[in-house]
Amino acid sequence: MSSEHIINHVRKLRFDNGQITQQQLADRVGVTRQTIIAIESGKYSPSLPLAFKLARTFGVPIEKVFQYEDTDNPLHEILKTEP
Amino acid sequence: MNRLQKRAWIELAGVAFCVAGAGAELAVLVRLNASGTGHLIILLTVGLTAGLFGYLHNLSEQKKLDERERKIAQKALALACFVFAVFCGCSSFIFFFTVGGAGKVPVYTLPAVFLGGIFVAQFTQSAAILIQFAREQGDE
Repeated sequence: MSSEHIINHVRKLRFDNGQITQQQLADRVGVTRQTIIAIESGKYSPSLPLAFKLARTFGVPIEKVFQYEDTDNPLHEILKTEP
Repeated sequence: MNRLQKRAWIELAGVAFCVAGAGAELAVLVRLNASGTGHLIILLTVGLTAGLFGYLHNLSEQKKLDERERKIAQKALALACFVFAVFCGCSSFIFFFTVGGAGKVPVYTLPAVFLGGIFVAQFTQSAAILIQFAREQGDE
């Protein structure tokens, strides 16, 4: 079984961007607060349009919000340690 | 409780009420031994109106959901369709094996199986929605 998952920095970015609440972020991107909670806790991976909306809300590129982690990839450890 | 959870409860109650009403109506029709195209036209009109109303209601409700809720609703709907097919299939085979291949069953068993299938499918759909939300909240 492949051990891959998407890690996100939504929670951190919320606090970095003037401590906006989950509800405020949810209203800005057009979802419910529960969806933001699910994304932050890694239980739900958003669609590409929602991921782009989140990134645009924080004013950062999408890869600063979401990162794809594939631990089966032999280059994973190398890429992880690269600065 | 969010919109989708509320909707699940309301739809379950609504379908239970409709199935009970249709079951009572079926019992009356069986008692009267109703037959003929007049009844068929009434049934088709009621069925099509209910179907159209359900479809339009579903469309308007879908627009209010966000993508995660829509995904939960779609999973629940897929499970409900599967359960409906299994219920109808199993019911047919139960009659086959209990009464025998050459046996006879009253005609009203067919709509009764259909009504039972609708109730079981709606129950499954609502339960699937509520369970998915409960599991998420339980993990938090």
